[in-house]
Amino acid sequence: MAGSGPGKALPVRRRRRHSQWRGLLYIAPAMALVIVFFVMPVLFTGWMSLHNWPLLGSPRWIGFNNYFRMANDARFASALRFTTYYTVIVTIAIFAVAFPLAIFVEKHRRFVGAYRTIIFLPVVVGLASASLLWVWLANVDSGFIGPALRALGLVEKSPNLLATFDSAFFTIIVMVVWKIAGFTMIILLTGLQAIPSELTEAARIDGAGPWQRFRYLTLPLMRRTIALALIISVTGSILAFDQFYIMTSGGPQNRMISVVYYIFNQSFVSFNLGYGAALSIALLAILVVISVMQLRLLRVGEDRP
Amino acid sequence: MIKRLLAATSIVTLCLASGASAAEKIEMWVRSGIGESFKKVVEAYNASHENQVAMTEVPFSELVQKYATAIAGGQAPDALSLDLIYTPAFAAAGQLEDLTDWAKGLPYFNSLSPSHVKLGTYQDRIYGLPLSVETSIFAWNKDLYKKAGLDPEKAPTSWEEIEANAEKIRALGDDIYGFYFSGGGCGGCMIFTFTPLVWGSGADILSSDGKTATLDTPEMRKAVDIYRSMVKKDLVPASAASDNGVNFLTFTNGKIGQQSLGAFAIGTLVTENPDINFGVTLIPGVNGGTSSFAGGDNFVITKGTKKIDAVKEFLEYTYSMDGQKVMAKYGSLPTRGDIADKVLEGLDPRMQVGIKAIEVAKTPYTLQFNDLINSANGPWATFTNAAIYGDDVDGAFSNAQSEMQSIIDTGQ
Repeated sequence: MAGSGPGKALPVRRRRRHSQWRGLLYIAPAMALVIVFFVMPVLFTGWMSLHNWPLLGSPRWIGFNNYFRMANDARFASALRFTTYYTVIVTIAIFAVAFPLAIFVEKHRRFVGAYRTIIFLPVVVGLASASLLWVWLANVDSGFIGPALRALGLVEKSPNLLATFDSAFFTIIVMVVWKIAGFTMIILLTGLQAIPSELTEAARIDGAGPWQRFRYLTLPLMRRTIALALIISVTGSILAFDQFYIMTSGGPQNRMISVVYYIFNQSFVSFNLGYGAALSIALLAILVVISVMQLRLLRVGEDRP
Repeated sequence: MIKRLLAATSIVTLCLASGASAAEKIEMWVRSGIGESFKKVVEAYNASHENQVAMTEVPFSELVQKYATAIAGGQAPDALSLDLIYTPAFAAAGQLEDLTDWAKGLPYFNSLSPSHVKLGTYQDRIYGLPLSVETSIFAWNKDLYKKAGLDPEKAPTSWEEIEANAEKIRALGDDIYGFYFSGGGCGGCMIFTFTPLVWGSGADILSSDGKTATLDTPEMRKAVDIYRSMVKKDLVPASAASDNGVNFLTFTNGKIGQQSLGAFAIGTLVTENPDINFGVTLIPGVNGGTSSFAGGDNFVITKGTKKIDAVKEFLEYTYSMDGQKVMAKYGSLPTRGDIADKVLEGLDPRMQVGIKAIEVAKTPYTLQFNDLINSANGPWATFTNAAIYGDDVDGAFSNAQSEMQSIIDTGQ
């Protein structure tokens, strides 16, 4: 009996080691992709950020100077402020539209498939094409919105929507909600559908009203789905670039320069690739911190069912 | 059978190969917004030569960054029509072909536009040669003047007169406006058409050595006030506030009474919009005097291109009498002084105003032209929109002044 212990353990350990190798083999293609297209570029960006790296000419090692410069860069600070402002507003707007839509298309009713398709349709349009479309819609003379308002007699003169910060910002928010809300709706819809109908029925029998059911049943059960939708929406908004570049080229008086726009300007307009790389690393760090914070706040991963 | 097949394919391959070597295809970039002259000279060249030029138009505000990234990525075109202001920067970066020996061998080298050659020269070697010359001028629509009861043959000589005329023209109808400019942060458009207002009266936005920003002058304040007043009185279309240069040629729609344009626009108007009856004159300064921006493009060749002989052949064609005539017809002033009179013979007499402007014209010389002036998010572009359309004129002046100075300082 005494000798059988180690004799038995050995094959188990061997088997485990064997299956570990096999597991590694399975994820190898995915790992290779991540390493080649994410880890290596990030490492190289980090390396670049320690240089004065002009687009033309040869790089020069400057240590952490790019990061020191960032700390005193007023334009970077204002880009961060604008990006935060945009992210908060657009995320609230997307959820305010997507949640009711998800509840609307979850119920079985006539033509629900058609509704889902129509609401999801703008998602498949590229963001650049959507931006160009809205540039035309918002055009003061030959567009749609301004002339339509004028034809309806709501305004005396067709307004130039993209000329002032507030109206241009509002136009962009409406465009992004129109474009993205359908996607968030689909994510929330899957969460809604995962809630067993028995639970809702039981709550109803217990006398819970619609608001109580939503607040104490639907919302807690959808926590993970909401976390996913929130992270996708927040990350996407922090990385926003196309709509500002195409629709307002940085906005009236440069007030719509997002962080990515600023990185683009530093790298390819002012040719400071090194500083652009340092800014990118900083942005990556910010995104990681925000995502971790969101997962913590929504307590995802703690309560496995 | 196989042997015959092999023979046939090898003959075809040989034909293809020899065909390719006989006629070269030159890749060339040109910036948008400089009119038709270059397009037309390429067409004329392609029609009469075996070598062909494939031209790609790049938005003017992105040309520099696109060219720089293309060089860095090894995808640069063989040659480029480069805003002459940028030639020193690219020559300094060692990315352009040295043309000194060939250029000096040209029989007409000494009569090529001297300011272009000067900007194309870096450390005594020549990297850029003149391709097109353009000056900014003031244009008015004679038909609208007549309708508004103004004398269509009398060129306005002061901005007070221009504003008064604009008011009369605006009274003609809903969609008729007195004045136009690209005010949505188009640095290139505004340095071209707006700075002559202060240059004409002796002020400038940079000190003569280019090391101090001198934006906040009484002359600039006055120029801003004139534009603000015209915007406030609704003499300028609302679309101007967000026009980033795409609609620079709005004058061609016939519903704009007056606008500062370029000599290229004369060519475009004459050839493409012959129904517009217009006059041109020099841009008045705010306190009298006149001025203009002398710009244009240099022809540069990317270092290491394999098609250098074909590129040189094309450039020699544009310098020939035929080439110069085509360019001039579409609004580019002659780059060769020795045949300028002959080139302009029989062409629209209004082109002469463009030539006259050269005498009073200025070209700011700074290696940071893109960062300071042309970039859509640079201080000058932002200033023009903020000062004319914003609520805080003093803030616009002080922000732009300090940002320009900080860009100049960090660049040294």
